[in-house]
Amino acid sequence: MIGCLRRLLAVAGNTFLEAVRQKVFAVLLLFGLVIVGGANYFTEFSFQEQFKFLKDLGYASIGLTGLLIGLLGAAQLIPGEIEKRTILTALCRPLRRWEFIWGKYLGLLFLLGLMVGIMATAVWAVLRWKEGQLIASEGSDPAVADLIRGEARDPRMLQAVFLIGVKLAVVAAMAVFFSTIATSTTFVIAMTLMVYLIGHLQSVAREQWLESGETARWWVKSFLVVVSLLIPDFNLYNLIDEIVAGNAVHWRATLEVAGYSVVYIFVLLVAATVAFEGRDI
Amino acid sequence: MKPLGFIASATALLLVWGGIKVPWEQRMAKSQRLNAYGFSGPTTVAVREKLGQGLALAFLGGFRGLAANALMLEAHAAWENQQWVRVRSALELATVLQPRVAVFWDMAAWHLAWNAAVAAEQFSGETSETRRRMEARRWIEAGRNLLERGTQAVPEKALLFQRLGDLYWQRLQDYGSAAKWYREALSKGDAPPYLERFVGYAMDKAGDKEGALAYFQDLRGRMGKEPDPARRPEVVDREIQRLEKETHNTAPMEKKSEIRNFRGYSRKP
Repeated sequence: MIGCLRRLLAVAGNTFLEAVRQKVFAVLLLFGLVIVGGANYFTEFSFQEQFKFLKDLGYASIGLTGLLIGLLGAAQLIPGEIEKRTILTALCRPLRRWEFIWGKYLGLLFLLGLMVGIMATAVWAVLRWKEGQLIASEGSDPAVADLIRGEARDPRMLQAVFLIGVKLAVVAAMAVFFSTIATSTTFVIAMTLMVYLIGHLQSVAREQWLESGETARWWVKSFLVVVSLLIPDFNLYNLIDEIVAGNAVHWRATLEVAGYSVVYIFVLLVAATVAFEGRDI
Repeated sequence: MKPLGFIASATALLLVWGGIKVPWEQRMAKSQRLNAYGFSGPTTVAVREKLGQGLALAFLGGFRGLAANALMLEAHAAWENQQWVRVRSALELATVLQPRVAVFWDMAAWHLAWNAAVAAEQFSGETSETRRRMEARRWIEAGRNLLERGTQAVPEKALLFQRLGDLYWQRLQDYGSAAKWYREALSKGDAPPYLERFVGYAMDKAGDKEGALAYFQDLRGRMGKEPDPARRPEVVDREIQRLEKETHNTAPMEKKSEIRNFRGYSRKP
């Protein structure tokens, strides 16, 4: 058991270091510039709108950067290793295939977690900086100053960042699954992106299938069923929009989405392991 | 087993999981809707809007907020250039993308019912006053329509109900409806404290002085003996005094006119 854990962590650490060596953290600099530049772009709006814009920009930047890094990182996991023949040296050691897959995913998760953490800290810092700026210009009334502070120090930001991280983890698991059956990185990127986009429409397909009383043709219905069954519902993570809009979102709902994501990731990794077991290398 | 067999097994596993996850997703989506809108059935937001959101989401990959913000900026730029049709289309699309953001509906309605309507009435260059007024009315109706849809999309917040009341008061001079929407806003719990007085003001403006007096008296009673200063009890007291004076002054006049009418009637054969 301990040996298995050690092997998993060795693969995870190696994957993480490999990603770091590829200078993915340079993207963070770009992210920082975007967010700081964006902070001064909406000054003609009310402070509520400015904070809304800033939070949207921050969360979207975290999501987009994380998506790109997760996607590119996962896409290179298996096809890249096969192309470079490095997978042979890895698998000829006492390392099981499933340990290789799960270790790779763990490494990717470390990378994503670290990046989301750093970017969330940057967003938080910019919000605090904006708070100081706005209090200096508009906060002479204590009630307004309190409102500005409330917007800038909204504890729900933690909920939003957590949800972004969980969503990215599902996307990364999806990419890992595709990388076990793909022969090229392009295939993995294209398939994962497609699932990511369709995932935002999955709820429409599901509701059309389950709740609509309309009698659709059999092939339309079959398509809706396949989409509903095979693709995750990424609209469930839209709680982030609710948080940015200033609406109350219970932690219970957030944790339920997180629980769903964890089970989804587990199933995807098991499916990836099954597919990888039968792969000729 | 052949490699294809392993892939088929993996797909079968995902399909089995799909059978488990679909009811779970359905329940979570309903629960999220319940928290957001207060009911779990299909939302009253138009189907067109729902489909619009879905399609936009698919193409934007979940970055709705960013796209909606870009549209708000576009609307702002169009407003500065007095391009009202562009303002309207950008704002409508922004509210479609993020229907749960109350400030979007608020800003959109303000641009249409106030800015565009005033521009159409006063600065359009149209010589016919009737046409100018008709055009202004069209913008006001567009703003009202947006706010009504907004109250359906964000039914738990007072802001849009309050703005609808403002619109009826300031743009349509329909004070009775304004009072109705202010009451609705007050029922939401997050209404500003001054709004409770506006119900009475609107009733007064609508000509229902007795009703306004009864409302203010009831309001004062609800404030208790040691009211919160933010609710401005002294203003409510002043309104009660004023309305009492006005209703007492009009009551004898009404009586006199009744007597006159009665006399006049009695003279008839």
